[in-house]
Amino acid sequence: MNKFLLILFFVMFVNTNLLSEDNFEKGLRIAKESYESTRGYVDSESDQLMILVDPKGNEVIREISGKTLENDDPNDGDKSIIFFNKPKDVEGTVMLSHTHVNDDDDQWLYLPALGRVKRISSSNKSGSFMGSEIAFEDFSGNDYRKYEWEFIGEEEYEGEICYKLVSIPKYKNSGYTKRIGFTDKLLRPRMIEYFDRKGELLKTLYFEDYQLYNDKIWNADTFRVVNHQNKNKTIYKWINRELNVGINKKDFEKSSLLRLAD
Amino acid sequence: MIYIKILNFALIVTFIFSFNVNALEYKLYGLVQPEFSIFTNGDGKHHQSKNNYSLFTKGNFISYLDERDAKITISAIARYDEKDSERRYIDFQKLKYEQYYENYTFKIGNEIIFWGVNESFNIIDIINQSNFAEDMTGTKKLGQPLLSLAYDNNYGTIDLYLMPYFIERKFPSKNGRPRLALEVDQNSITYESSSKEQKLDFALRYSMVYDDYDIGIAHFHGNNRVPQLNINPSTLKFNPHYTTLSQTSLDIQATKGAWLYKLEALSAKDGNERHLGVAGGFEYTFYGIRDSQSDLGLVIEYSFDDRNSYPFNNDSVAALRWTKNDINSTSLLAGMFIDMRGNSNRFIAEYEQRINNNVKLFIDATFNGSIDSQDFTYAFEEDSVFSIKLARYF
Repeated sequence: MNKFLLILFFVMFVNTNLLSEDNFEKGLRIAKESYESTRGYVDSESDQLMILVDPKGNEVIREISGKTLENDDPNDGDKSIIFFNKPKDVEGTVMLSHTHVNDDDDQWLYLPALGRVKRISSSNKSGSFMGSEIAFEDFSGNDYRKYEWEFIGEEEYEGEICYKLVSIPKYKNSGYTKRIGFTDKLLRPRMIEYFDRKGELLKTLYFEDYQLYNDKIWNADTFRVVNHQNKNKTIYKWINRELNVGINKKDFEKSSLLRLAD
Repeated sequence: MIYIKILNFALIVTFIFSFNVNALEYKLYGLVQPEFSIFTNGDGKHHQSKNNYSLFTKGNFISYLDERDAKITISAIARYDEKDSERRYIDFQKLKYEQYYENYTFKIGNEIIFWGVNESFNIIDIINQSNFAEDMTGTKKLGQPLLSLAYDNNYGTIDLYLMPYFIERKFPSKNGRPRLALEVDQNSITYESSSKEQKLDFALRYSMVYDDYDIGIAHFHGNNRVPQLNINPSTLKFNPHYTTLSQTSLDIQATKGAWLYKLEALSAKDGNERHLGVAGGFEYTFYGIRDSQSDLGLVIEYSFDDRNSYPFNNDSVAALRWTKNDINSTSLLAGMFIDMRGNSNRFIAEYEQRINNNVKLFIDATFNGSIDSQDFTYAFEEDSVFSIKLARYF
């Protein structure tokens, strides 16, 4: 009997809690659930192809490959290594990042021409990644801890009813004042509009080619970005992505950079 | 020299052998770079040609063996120069075999090892010899044959280096521009050590990352990489003399947001005399200047040394680095070197931009301002130069 009361009480409490949830709490809950649905990947390895398109339609190709290590610490970010392959003049360059949630990342760059590992400033998370329309901070744009959230309704996007969410960056050096995005009922972000520091629409990021990895994690294998101000486009594709491959954690330390570099 | 040949031969044999045994996983890439220089002070102090052609090339071969637990690297550079015979050379920057264990790395062969944090005054960097025929500032290095063992754990990394063969500093020939006041006689080299170039040099370095700090402590004992240049009165050439050097050094970089703070310090016993050197400074970057993607970095560094004879005993550099962050990776570095003792100054500018996926353009300029006649750079006071380089990558 007691147990029954307890369950009843718990159900009522939870329901009341859900009923009394305001739009900020709901936005945060959806963002958190969306983020958590992509966790548990342990580590990943992939090749990445980037196509930069200027307003005249001229295309430039960038090729990199990367490794990522999930960080279980709820207050810290993941670690990643990027190997640059194209353009050819940066071939052999390697970048190691230890990301942090609302602070500057730790970043080291191996420069093959000098045979030198340099610790670099990373307070430009808003800076362009390899001349593309994607900023460093966009790669971790699904981390709910980096934004204040608000749910502002449900709308149809590409034939599906989606949550419409507004997110405001907490990071002081962010290049954005606001983002407005659609997240579908499978908790996958589908599109995000970015507003620059002046509050003007800067670019739209479309999440495409969703694949279900390891039967549990949805990853968009294409990011398509359209910049509304300079009219450039960037298409970013993940190829041969594998999760939970068993990469040695030590690979993600500075001391391993020279070992991993050419 | 025989030692190097044996080592190179052994490595190449290992390499060829591995070719047959394994289904080879390898990478091959490099560049070919024609260069053209125009000197703006006419014939200059040494009555030399006003322009020069040169061709530089670099090739890299990397192969992983043993399920990536071992690696062979060959990285060779070569140059053909129209005027300067000392700038016609091949150097194996890397020609090495590495074996990886859980906490250890073993390495044998030619290698380039950089120590330090500074942009300009790399005072503690000592493993590799500088190639002055390439560049009088000493930033271009020659591959050093060595054996090394690295051990790392959560507290940092310890690197041990044994260097069984010494590489002499290369200098420009009589026809090189810029060049020193006198020719360097590479056939009249002397050493403090009776083992001469076969002296077994060693070095030890501990490095660690603590939060925003990257720290290194190192010790080196061996032939000094910097020769004394003594005038031979009969030939009127410089005879290089290599002393024995024991150097203990510290390098620290603090990375605080857009600020980088850098410090290198050393105490060394060179021959019978002890000297002290300190160099450091800061770098600050303004990101997204004027609401663009461009960044503007400011670098200021200062170098002190308690030897009167040392060229950078009271010198500073101030430079601006503009990076456009565009598709072509356009960037411009403009800087000024000031010798505060002799009141000499020198200006440099380096522009670069990608032409397409495989071609990159470099334009460099060096202008020598007023140079004190006591300064070692006085010999190339009239060697202000514009260089255009076009790198084709493959």
